[in-house]
Amino acid sequence: MAMNLQSSESIIEARRAVGVKPADAQSWAYAFAGIVGARRVVTDPAVCPAFNVDGMTPGAVVYPRTAEDVATILSIASSWGLAVIPLRSGTKVGMGNAPLRYDIALCLKDLNQVWHYEPDDLTISVEAGMKFGDVQRFLSRRGLWLPLDPPGGARASVGGILAANASGPLRVRYGAPRDMVLGMTFATADGKLIKTGGRVVKNVAGYDLSKLMIGSLGTLGVILDVSFKLFPLPSLRQTFAFSDASLEACRHLRRAILASPLTPLRMVLLNGPARAIAANLSAQYGPDSNHEFWVEVGGSESVLHRSAQILSGLSAFVGPEPSKLDEAVARECWDRIADYTAWASQPEQDLLVLKATLPIASTERFLEAVYQESEQEQCRVASFAQTGAGTVLLCILTAKGEAGMATFVSRLRGNATRLEGALTVLAGPPVLKQYVDTWGPPATDLASMHKLKQTLDPSGILSPGRFVGGL
Amino acid sequence: MSENKSETWRKAIAGQAAKIAGDDVVLWRAEDLMLYEYDGLSTMGKPDLVVFPSTTQHVSEIVKLANRNNLPVIARGAGTGLSGGAVVSSGGIVLGFSRMKKILEIDIENQRARVQPGVVNLDLSLAVSDFGYYYAPDPSSQKACTLGGNVAENSGGPHTLAYGVTTNHVLGLEVVLPNGEVIHTGAAYLDPPGYDLTGLFVGSEGTLGIVTEITVRLTRKPEAVKTLLAIYDRVHDATSTVASITAEGITPAALEMLDGFTLRAIEDATHAGYPRDSAAVLLIELEGLREAVEEESTQVEAVCRANCVRQIRVAQNAEERDKLWQGRKNAFGAMGRISPNYYVQDGVIPRTRLPEMLDFIGEAGARYDLRIGNIFHAGDGNLHPLIMFDARDAGQSGRVLKAASEIMMKCAEMGGSITGEHGVGIEKSELMPLIFSEQDIEMMKTIKSIFNPKDSFNPGKVFPTGKLCGELRVQISEGAARG
Repeated sequence: MAMNLQSSESIIEARRAVGVKPADAQSWAYAFAGIVGARRVVTDPAVCPAFNVDGMTPGAVVYPRTAEDVATILSIASSWGLAVIPLRSGTKVGMGNAPLRYDIALCLKDLNQVWHYEPDDLTISVEAGMKFGDVQRFLSRRGLWLPLDPPGGARASVGGILAANASGPLRVRYGAPRDMVLGMTFATADGKLIKTGGRVVKNVAGYDLSKLMIGSLGTLGVILDVSFKLFPLPSLRQTFAFSDASLEACRHLRRAILASPLTPLRMVLLNGPARAIAANLSAQYGPDSNHEFWVEVGGSESVLHRSAQILSGLSAFVGPEPSKLDEAVARECWDRIADYTAWASQPEQDLLVLKATLPIASTERFLEAVYQESEQEQCRVASFAQTGAGTVLLCILTAKGEAGMATFVSRLRGNATRLEGALTVLAGPPVLKQYVDTWGPPATDLASMHKLKQTLDPSGILSPGRFVGGL
Repeated sequence: MSENKSETWRKAIAGQAAKIAGDDVVLWRAEDLMLYEYDGLSTMGKPDLVVFPSTTQHVSEIVKLANRNNLPVIARGAGTGLSGGAVVSSGGIVLGFSRMKKILEIDIENQRARVQPGVVNLDLSLAVSDFGYYYAPDPSSQKACTLGGNVAENSGGPHTLAYGVTTNHVLGLEVVLPNGEVIHTGAAYLDPPGYDLTGLFVGSEGTLGIVTEITVRLTRKPEAVKTLLAIYDRVHDATSTVASITAEGITPAALEMLDGFTLRAIEDATHAGYPRDSAAVLLIELEGLREAVEEESTQVEAVCRANCVRQIRVAQNAEERDKLWQGRKNAFGAMGRISPNYYVQDGVIPRTRLPEMLDFIGEAGARYDLRIGNIFHAGDGNLHPLIMFDARDAGQSGRVLKAASEIMMKCAEMGGSITGEHGVGIEKSELMPLIFSEQDIEMMKTIKSIFNPKDSFNPGKVFPTGKLCGELRVQISEGAARG
């Protein structure tokens, strides 16, 4: 498209056109070009598939420059009933049910600035399109960080992390994104820019609307910028590994660590295939032996020394003393453990990753059930269990037909439910989603959620159908 | 919505309420209602009826009864709130939760507890203490305030510096909506599928729903606790210390500041051990692994010394520590001894601006000829300036509000907030436009209308009425104001 329509007149024209939806993608894309410029609206069939969601290709990819752009685009999309999915790096694109409709991919890659930084106050405000790796690099210069290790790692965008309330093993110590957000600006479906919360570390003025946006997978609004509270980086870190531990031993170890004075940064229980993935080996060759239990602690030399003593004292539960992993190697392993999107490099072409969240005490019992089911189904599973938080990630390594896979997922979900937890699909082949609801039953009152969605997005244009209960 | 009703009318409704909740749990006589006309804010409002439900079903039925009679419903815990959240603004039924105070379940291995809203904050911590756990948010009123009230106001406390406020510790809720319907939000495990309604309801000040059951996270007690009292000859040095501690990335569990005026009042009342001749003290608590606490303590002491501390005292045992904290937690009460009335605020500012803010408060006090004591959750920039006055002196009362408003505006101007933990309530509703645009506030109202379309739950709270412009809604006059 050779257009250069950035004048205010063209914006007015585009707004005037609202109400009469042009017939095809090329025509409505023209209207959006009037707002953001022709180069920022891409309808090229060679490009759009890069923004596919569950096999659906958007009619156009739009790259807004500003928050105001986003608001204008959304208000027009609302009027025309065009479905919008905010997407940046697509690291968590596997989450959610298949969208009901998908017209516009809203790529916030150019909203990537730090707009407020008070290192002495331990606060930062960044735009949603900023990549997580860039935020961490920026902060590390002052010895600070956002203590998160979300899937997608450095490639994930801040907005995406929040939309998914995505966390990793660090959660046991620092909590989830929802616990670090001080405030945000978001755009509503009808094109309003709303500020909620603030930039100071303590604030209870007004409703906490950030909480509604966080974890809503882009179905209630589009997150534009976010203020976080920051934390100092631990001066040193050390990972200890207990190897060849039975599930029973792991249960004792988990209890003992949680009852000890330690406050680990991360704890994870890896089965053989998971251990292989963590080491960047093929999961096919991971022995189906016992588990490894990894504990990462942070702090000064004397804190690490004391932690080593405490953990050695706990080795009675598992047998051998824990080994100390080389810090550089451990860091890479943890990155792979946290980032399920990297597990895709395994031979299986279709990544299938499940996440169970359970009462902490049920973690090992759930794993037992998983192993029984997978033996029955002759299906290899890599399990990454954040036992201190009751979160288990499962990577299904054996390809089966989608119907068989759907049954398997349902049975695992049944086990999670029986143990008073839940199971969601984090990534899976689109065809599987025809058979399985990725979320399972909602934990929160569905009628209230429907009312919220209806009020905030009456035209149903924001990521329609991707969320819990078909929202 | 409604003006207060006649005694006959009230008696009739009381009869119906008694059929729902029981005979001895309904108050309707004017003299019985008087106790429920106020909370910790010096503003009053008359309820038509007070009912003490025992079950969720009672709450739901009473709410329906109120609906049929077009009466607002206001939930009330212990009435310790400081923003008027439990004060009736236009008549209605007050639901008192003193009979719903059961701890329903303690599950140590899963680090959680399920409680009724009337459970007193400290009682939960005491109940799990033997297992080595506690409930982290610790408002100064924790001996009296209830968890239901904490959820409504998203309450904080000194230790929220390290552990976060109420919303970071609530996993799930049972809520009665304004139509009487009972819903559940969240779960006892992490990341329950669905919108985070729990996060929305916490801190909504009783305007979206009434909480009837709460699932909270329990926190393990640290191995070591060290409490330091840093004593200063100049207030500026104390505030600079706070800014430096933050900037150095040291994270105490609590970091409190009291100025000379306040600490002397406290000494007179509780003999906490604060030196009377000092200009300010910092109460610094470090928690964690023994080794970590010792190292942080060395770092903190170095920062204090770099900022001209006169002396650093370390609590030698639990008794000494408790005494230091008792002084802090009873600070508001101590004020009552030296001034007929006081007015406490709750603004928040970036921690880097503390020295500047303290100067500003000092100037405001001088300008309006008022004594202002300062007691801050300094570590998170949450200010509680205490303005002393005598409500019998009408001129003084007017000056109090002017000074208070200026301090609030300064907080907003510094990029801060009008409330860090007390809530907006009645008191600060007209100040919301200081930090939110009309559109932001409209969005909150839209969310409110989803759950509370008739404004029948806690009307007159949080949102600006539009009748007053940027004014504090506090009755500071004789009879109303209390110390």
